[in-house]
Amino acid sequence: MSFTKTTAGKTIDIVKNLPRITLANLRPNPGAKKDEKHRGRGMHGGNKSGRGHKGERQRGNRPRLGFEGGQTPFYLIIPKYGYNANHRCNSVCVFYSSSRRPQYPPLSLRRLQYLIDLGRVDPMQPIDLTQLVNCRGVAIQPMKRDYGIQLIDEGADIFSAKVNLEVQVASEKAIAAVERNGGVITTSYYDPRSLQILIKPVPFLMSGEPIPKRLLPGEDLLPYYTDASNRGYLADPDKVQAARLGLAKKYGYTIPDITTDTFFEMLVQRKDPRQIFFGLSPGWVVNMADKKILKPTDDKVLQYYGNIKSL
Amino acid sequence: MAASWLSRRTVLSFGVNKLNSFLPAVVQQIAHYNPRPLCLNIKSPYIPCKESEKTPEWQKTEKYERRLFGRYGGASGVDPARLWPSHARLEELAAEEREWHPPMEVMLENIAAREREKEQRRMEREKIIAANMAKMPKMIADWKKQKREAKQKQREEKIKRDKLLAEARERFGYALDPRSAKFKEMVAEIEKEEKKKRKLLKRRKREEEQGTAAAESSQ
Repeated sequence: MSFTKTTAGKTIDIVKNLPRITLANLRPNPGAKKDEKHRGRGMHGGNKSGRGHKGERQRGNRPRLGFEGGQTPFYLIIPKYGYNANHRCNSVCVFYSSSRRPQYPPLSLRRLQYLIDLGRVDPMQPIDLTQLVNCRGVAIQPMKRDYGIQLIDEGADIFSAKVNLEVQVASEKAIAAVERNGGVITTSYYDPRSLQILIKPVPFLMSGEPIPKRLLPGEDLLPYYTDASNRGYLADPDKVQAARLGLAKKYGYTIPDITTDTFFEMLVQRKDPRQIFFGLSPGWVVNMADKKILKPTDDKVLQYYGNIKSL
Repeated sequence: MAASWLSRRTVLSFGVNKLNSFLPAVVQQIAHYNPRPLCLNIKSPYIPCKESEKTPEWQKTEKYERRLFGRYGGASGVDPARLWPSHARLEELAAEEREWHPPMEVMLENIAAREREKEQRRMEREKIIAANMAKMPKMIADWKKQKREAKQKQREEKIKRDKLLAEARERFGYALDPRSAKFKEMVAEIEKEEKKKRKLLKRRKREEEQGTAAAESSQ
């Protein structure tokens, strides 16, 4: 149907008069479809059907991928290097042969910008691990030694959102990228139980337990979280301010003055070191059925759970 | 899957995405997710009978009570005061915390102490190294001197040996082996002669000195 006689009439006239296109009128270009090779399935099992001659190959009993006939295989003989270097063996038994090292799945600034652009996470509220898990922006497994998320600087050039961000580890460039846009970033520690509660609050609240107080980081991680250059939540606020200025000088941008911002109160909102959720103090019981919060009044209980001054 | 999260009220707003380009840049649409329905089952709750023997033990525990309260609220019949740990349990928890979770000041103190110790060990090692490095020029000079002297001694010995060999050669007329008895005898003879010469020299010197001393004293 492709010949064109443009002398007398137009192609479109011809096409208009042609019958309707149906499957019966269509055919692929010669050479476009090649016949599939059929493996033999005949009366006596066909010929070898591309399986080779006898042995494991034909009988479908080849060993696993990577096996080298008993020689220690390549994937075991080469030592781990770099990122996975000091992680010990991954085995099925969790408690005494796998690495106890805290792991922090990465969250890139590019991903964060993507989530904000799509409206999955709200930059007008403090962005917490709970918010990120709610919008399924990160996948975190506390039972697999994940202690939170780390902010990495992929996408630092395109990041342009003003957020109040709370992560567990942050690289220097990522901190700079967030602060350059007038945002606030904090690194804070959640022990595994608190982390599980943080990422899945509803199953915890259904259990009727009072909200526990967040534990302080151990001696290994305490220096990280008391350091102002990491924006640790236990660091001195004045030093944090000085660090902000220092970082701005280093990367060559001016910090916008957030005190004049309309969202200043939201940006300055920070959790108490013992608090897991914004607006909820440890010791309170949140009931989903009655939609009520129960607060203890007994002195000893209050003393144990502490009282957070802002609430 | 994503579509099921989005609540119906925002499907409309997302459906009207074309208008986004006309909206001012400040307005941002935020997704409001439909939370997963909580199957609390309040209408027909199962609240086990505490007194009956038929109820399994685990349904009479405090933990189960809290779960009941968490699920059914006031309708579970659980006294809210039982949700928090009892005084005894609080004591236990407090003791555990005191033992395993020291306060921040203590932890900082420990860290500082460890750092100080590390620093101190490093300083001591550095001091030892510095002291030894200060001794180095002298040690190098000493060693060089020692080597030079050894070499010189070696050279002198060689010369002496060659001289003796030449002497032996002269005396006996053929190249004599230094280890043989004749050679050794010859060496001994030469030694004796040398000794005598030295003694004579000494005596003469002493006589001269005595003579000059007498001359001076007589004058």
